[in-house]
This record gives sequence, structure tokens and C-alpha cells, in this order.
Amino acid sequence: MKKIKEIVNKNSFATTVYPILFGVLIVVLWQTQILHKILGADTFTLPMPSRIFDIILANTDSIWTNVVATLIVAIGGLIVGSALGFMLGVLATFAPKWGAGGLTVIAAFNAIPIIAIAPIANNLTKDLSDNPEIRSMIAKMIVVTLTCMVPMSINVNRGMTELKPFSLDLMKSYAAENRTVFFKLRLPNSVPYIFTALRVSVPVCVISALVSEYFAEFIIGVGRQIRENIVLAQYATAWAYITVACAIGIILYIILLIAEGITLKGRK
Amino acid sequence: MKVNAMLKIKKLGILFLVCAMVLSVFAGCTAKTSTEAAPTATAAATEAPAVVEGPYYSADMTAEQIVVDAASQGKVGNWGLGNEYEIQALLSKYGQDTTYLSQAFDMDGFDDDSILLASAMTYNELGLVKNSYDGGYGYGDTVSYIDMNDEGVAMLEDNIFCTKTFAEANPNTVKAFIAASMKGWAYACANPEEAAEIVYSYGSSVSSEHQAYMAGEVKKLVETDTAGNTVTVYGKMDTAAMQQTLDLAKTYIKLDDAVAADALAGFELSNIMDSTYWDAAMADGAVLGTPEKTDVTIQLKWLPQAQFMGYYVALAKGYYDEVGLNVTITPGGGDISETTAVYSGQVDFGVTWVSNLIAANAGGMDLIEVAQVFQRSGLVLVYKLND
Amino acid sequence: MQRIKKFFTSKQMVTVVWVLGIMVLWEIGAFIVAGTKRSPENVLPHLYQIVQSVFSTKLVNGSQTAFQIVLSNAGLTLFRAGIGFLIGAGIGFLLALLMNLVMPIEKIVFPYLMVIQMIPILGMAPIILAITKDINKSRIVIAAILTFYPVATNTLAGFKSVEKEKHELMHSIAATKYEIYTKLLIPSSIPYLFTGLKISAPMAITASILVDTLQGGGGLGCMLSQSLKHAMTIYVFWQIVFFSAIVGILSYYLMSLIEKAVSPYKRIHK
Repeated sequence: MKKIKEIVNKNSFATTVYPILFGVLIVVLWQTQILHKILGADTFTLPMPSRIFDIILANTDSIWTNVVATLIVAIGGLIVGSALGFMLGVLATFAPKWGAGGLTVIAAFNAIPIIAIAPIANNLTKDLSDNPEIRSMIAKMIVVTLTCMVPMSINVNRGMTELKPFSLDLMKSYAAENRTVFFKLRLPNSVPYIFTALRVSVPVCVISALVSEYFAEFIIGVGRQIRENIVLAQYATAWAYITVACAIGIILYIILLIAEGITLKGRK
Repeated sequence: MKVNAMLKIKKLGILFLVCAMVLSVFAGCTAKTSTEAAPTATAAATEAPAVVEGPYYSADMTAEQIVVDAASQGKVGNWGLGNEYEIQALLSKYGQDTTYLSQAFDMDGFDDDSILLASAMTYNELGLVKNSYDGGYGYGDTVSYIDMNDEGVAMLEDNIFCTKTFAEANPNTVKAFIAASMKGWAYACANPEEAAEIVYSYGSSVSSEHQAYMAGEVKKLVETDTAGNTVTVYGKMDTAAMQQTLDLAKTYIKLDDAVAADALAGFELSNIMDSTYWDAAMADGAVLGTPEKTDVTIQLKWLPQAQFMGYYVALAKGYYDEVGLNVTITPGGGDISETTAVYSGQVDFGVTWVSNLIAANAGGMDLIEVAQVFQRSGLVLVYKLND
Repeated sequence: MQRIKKFFTSKQMVTVVWVLGIMVLWEIGAFIVAGTKRSPENVLPHLYQIVQSVFSTKLVNGSQTAFQIVLSNAGLTLFRAGIGFLIGAGIGFLLALLMNLVMPIEKIVFPYLMVIQMIPILGMAPIILAITKDINKSRIVIAAILTFYPVATNTLAGFKSVEKEKHELMHSIAATKYEIYTKLLIPSSIPYLFTGLKISAPMAITASILVDTLQGGGGLGCMLSQSLKHAMTIYVFWQIVFFSAIVGILSYYLMSLIEKAVSPYKRIHK
């Protein structure tokens, strides 16, 4: 109990209170329209927080339906993409020459704009299901998978190869098998790197889920609502969904941080 | 060490469980609403008449039979983003649920039968479906369509608009722009082939064959009203058709923002249009006066194509120069819509659909329509015919 | 013989084999699609068809062939991407430095960095447009915003990765804060910085294409969306897909080259 108190007092105080204070400051500036003056925006393109909040409260049901659709795509894609990226990273470790070439090629997928992948994925998945809701969900997930794969594979590869000096020699002097080296040295060494990758790919998975929704066949998702409302010039409603999108990202990120804190506790 | 690892796994497990629980609690709240929605969908399915023979529709079926069948299969398509209200009005007219499939900007969905009743503009997608030039699907006469004008659910499309503030500050510019643009439209409609060539030479990438087809179809929309009568004055604001558009918009534009929804419900024609500029510009022997602002930009609703031939012709023929305007034409089709571009002052005039203007004003913009170029709806629902 | 063997085991060969593998997969897909779809070029055309369209001399608009359209618009987009990338990378590095120097800033800024990443470009665009009043400036700003996050996080991770002992050593020789940064922290964060740069260089290009689609007026994104909306031949779309991928790889290679040039440790190690 004492221990928990200590942690809360020292670390979490700074990590939670500072950003919250800053956030409150921004919201106050926003609501009092000082922010509008600083940015040179008007209350139409940047609606008041109170109005945004009212819209969220008045539409909880439809917002939740869209949130669930986005979450399934984002998390599903994140898991599949990270798993594939991890495997690629491992592959690149054991076959450095072939793997590194593969990493470069895979990194190329990152260079294809999401807006180009999304329609291709849409067309390719047309025959997968009769239900447009399911086939467009798969199409969206493919996009997220591709974007989440790259940071993971690069970071895992680093984690597996950038070992502490002489640790590999030490293992070899014990005549350790490759398997042992992998599980006892490389894998533990790559754990912080995995979290580095996740810190990049968690925001990326949400954003690419949002963008892929723009092009999906089935009209659902937070991103789709943002686009529909922006195009129809309903900025207040669009901002309500933008707020929700940010909330999804923040919550996922906090969950990641907690998981990271638990896993990496006691290191260093 | 081992105990430590166990503890970590335990903690991670707890984290996972907490997340799952929170999710399921939220899901529980909304599960109720989703089960309530289900019975209506099945009810619609049982009502569908069983007159369908073959995979598609026969030429003697009524619009109602086709709409009801396609809707019950959930295969009515539209692009959404403010283009869907006429389709929803038609679905409601025949007692169907107003959900539709999101249609891409190609006709592949129609081609591969994932959409049975696809939205098409007479001057664009319908031509691609029927004709066999580059980019076309070559269906010829094996397809037919339901016309929104015939069904009484027509909403007016391409207009010219600007902000109220801009119009009040620059009345002569507005009048001059209307007068020159309408002269362009008159010439374009009299010489559609030449107009198509002009648009093509301005860098449009639509093939010249399709451009020529489009010019011919756009001419029909500009010169015929919703009832099928010929219109002789270009850009006229037909109050009856405008009122029908506004009424349908009030019913089918669904706004989550209560403030905007209230504003929409109270709208009258004066909130969205002002015909005084057009009247003054088109009157016999009209004196246009010196434009207050000479460098003006117009943003189109879509990509450069013969849909907007009047403006390109006015530019090429020097009609804008004659009235003392230096006009730039910006293509649309991006996500910064023409309403936003005009409202933010980045461009002065815009071409949009009346329903989009209504929605934007409900959201808080102060846009007014100053001319109505298309006199009837160009939206149709296209379907394949059984052999 | 030796030479041939060397070629077959060289690094280039590896990439070639990977690319060939993907091409084979693509072609298999294309054959299946060609057999089942009516307009296969919209779903997955054969590679030779795309290559053919690159060399085709047929004009697709008033004055240009498909490939000329791609090239003439690529200049605009790559220029914006380059400027956006430089600004984004610079801001990212400075922010990481600032966050490491002043703890409260890290605590305040870091969560919001992520929040900014979460705001979809579409939501940001009208606001940035309202501030800059110019669509092209807005495009550069958005490209910068989208690229600085990987640089900032990776550089910060680099600063944090320095072992305590090294810090203690620097303190024991009475090094100033400035010396600690220039002699220890910045050099040891360079590999991390480059990890960030390698991720964000292709991202800058992606972002730049993405923001092109916001409004007309030229750029690869504009052409891509026009082509997708079938206002011009679909091969312009496929060419842009390949073009952006190739430029993306080149940008990644460019970062690797610069990394090798500035980090002698890595060069010896390899």
C-alpha cells in the first residue's frame, strides 16, 4: 500500500496532473474564445467545447455504434500487423541478408498512400462476403495491418540485433543454442523496442482506421462520420466525432502505457 | 525472478480483463437499440413482391416494384456525402428503409452486381454505363433507369452561390459574374460540341468522346425543368422547384447537431437564395456597373468536365473580360468542399447542389444562391434488364 | 564465375528476389482477377499493362500523356513533402531535446503530441486553412505535423537509452550540461533519430499526397483522386501507386545513406 502511494505521489502526479492542467487551460482559452483570437479562427470552423459536448451527449447511441466499428478495425489491424511485423523482424534477425532486403521492400508499403491502398483493398475484398459490412471491415483491416507492420518489424529487428556488447559472445562461450540465445537474450532485449514500435503504431492504427473508413463501402465508423460532416459543413458535429477519435487514441495509448509500465518494471 | 514474471503476467491479465469489462458494459447499453432495429428490416423483406424473374429486372416492371426489390436486398447504391437525399426520398416514397450502400465513384459495383440499383448522373455515370468508349462499360440498351424528376423527388443541383456578405459588399461583381456566366451557358448549350472541346483544352482529363456526350446531356438539364418543359432563360430560380428541394431537404437531411437541426427546420427560401442579382443581371438592357472586385475565383463542385462547360466557355470566349472580371476556375472534388472554400473566403463563388447549400447554412454559414443553372435533377437510378 | 557468384549473393540481389516474389504474387492475383472481373484494370491490372501505360504516347488530356501527368504533378508534391519533412524533422528533434531538458515539458507535451496525431487531417485542414489562408501553405504545415511524431518519439527514446554509468562518468569529470548533450546524448541518440527519420521520410510523401486530395490545383494526390473517380484513365492511379512506392523506398535509402555517412560506429561495425 505504501509503495503504491509512493508511486502515485512521485511519478504519476507529474504524468497526469501536468497534462490535465494544460488541457484545462486550453479548454478555458477555447471556451472564452481567446484561442480563436490567437489562431485567427471563428466559432464556426472551431466550435465551442460546450456545443461539441452537447452534441456528444445527445448522440451517445450512434456515436457508440461508430466507435465500436472503428475499434474493431483499429485493434484487429494492430494485432495482425504487429504480429506480422514481429515475425518479419525475427526473420530479418536470423537471415540478416534476406531479411534486411525484405524490410526495405516492406517499408515500401508505408510509402504507398493510405488513400491508394484503401480503394485497392476495397476492390480486392469484394468477393469475400455477401455482407458489405463484413467485407468492408476486412478491407479496412488490411489497410491498418499494412501500416502497423513497418514500425514493428524495424524496431524488433533492432531489438534483436542491438545487444549489449559481449552478451552474444558470452552466450556463445556457454555454447548456447540459437534457440536459447533467442529466448534468453534476443527476445528480452527486444521488449522495450516492441513498446517503442507500439508507441508509434497505436496512434497510426487509429488514424489509418479512420482514413480507410472514408473509402469503405459500408457507411460506418468515426472517420466516416468526420468526413461526412466536414463535407456537409457540419463542423460542430464533425468536431464531436474528432473529439471521440482523440479519446479513442488516448485511451488506447494509456492502456499501452500501463501495459508497458507493468512489463518493463524492474528493468534498468 | 520467476515470481516477478508471474506477477507481471497477472497484472497484464487484470488490465486486459478491465478493458474487456468496460467495453462489454458500454456495449450492453447500446445492444438494446440494435435489437430493436432488427424486426423492421425483416418486415421490409417479407413485403417484397416476388415478381422477379431472372437476376435483373424486366422492362415492364414499375419503378415501385424495382425499388422495393432492390431495397429489400439492400442493394441500392449512392455516393453519400450529401448526394443521397433524393434516393432516400424515393425509398421512403415506396415505404422502404432509407439505408443505402456506399457507392464508389466508378460503376464497378453496378457492373459486378453488388449494387442492383445504382446512382448515376445522366451526364456522367449513365454515359459510362451505356457507352463503350474508353472507361465505359458498354451496356447500351441492356440497362434502364428511374428518373428522379418523374418520381417527384427531384432536388435541384448545380447553382452559383457566394456568401451573403460578399454579395452585399460586391453587388456589381455578382451581377457581372452572373451575366457573363449565363452568356457562356447560352453559347455552350447552342454549341455543345465546341463547348466540350473547350473544356477538354482547359486540361480536363475526361476523354473527349465522354466530354461530348456529357455536354449534350448537361444541355438537357440546363434547358428543361422538372416537369419537362423547355426553359429559355438560363440560370432562372424556379421557386416551385426550389421549394420542393427545400422541403425534401428538411425531411432527409439528418443533423446530429440540435442547434443546426433547429435552424434547418425553420428555413424558408429567403434563407438560401436571393434572386435580385440574377433579375438585375438578366433584365433587358441591364446596366451592370463597375465590379467592386475584379479578380474572382469560382470553385466547381467536381472535377473539370463539361458539367461546368458554361464557365469554361465564358472564360475562353472572353465574356468575363467583357464585363471587367478576371476569373480563375478551381476544380472541386476534394474534401474541402465548395461551401467551406467560399465561406472561408478562399474563393468568391462556388457551384454546389442546393441541398449542400441548405445543410451548410443550417450548420451556420451565410451562403446564398444567386443563380440556378440546372433546372432539373440529373440523378437517376440505373438497373440492368433481363435479356 | 566468382563475380557471378558474388552478384547472386549481393545485397542488391536480395532486394531483386523480394521484388520478383511480390511481382509473381501480383501476377497470380491479376490472372485470377482478369478471369473473373469485367474491368480488371480497376481491381488489379497486369504489371505489363501498367508499364505499357508509362510508355504510351496517347494523350489522356489536352496536352499530356499519362506519365507526363504523373511527372509534372510529382514535382509539386515532392517539393511540399520535402519542405514538410525538413520542418517536421527539425521540430521533432528540437521537441525531443526540449522534452529531455525540462521534465515538465515532457509531461505536458508528450500526451498532446499524440493527440495531435489523432486528429484526422480532414478535421485539421479547415482550421489550418483558416489560419494560413492558403491551401498550399496548409498542405506543407499538415505534412510537417504528420511527420514529426516518429522523429520526436524516437529521438527521445535515444536520449533515454543512455546508460546511467555514462551520465555518472560525465558528471564525475565535471562536464557541463551543454557538453553532456553535445558529447554524449546527441551522438548516442543518432541511431534512434535515424530510425525516426526512416519511418517519417516515406510518411512525409504519403502525407503530402494525402493533403493534395483536399482541393484541386495540382499534385499527385489530385491526379490520384481524379483517376480514382474515373475522370481520367485508371492507369494514372496505378502509376502513382508505383511512383509513390518507389520514391518512398528511395527516401528510406537516402536516410540510410545519410545515417552511414554520419555515424562512423555503424560503418566499422558492418
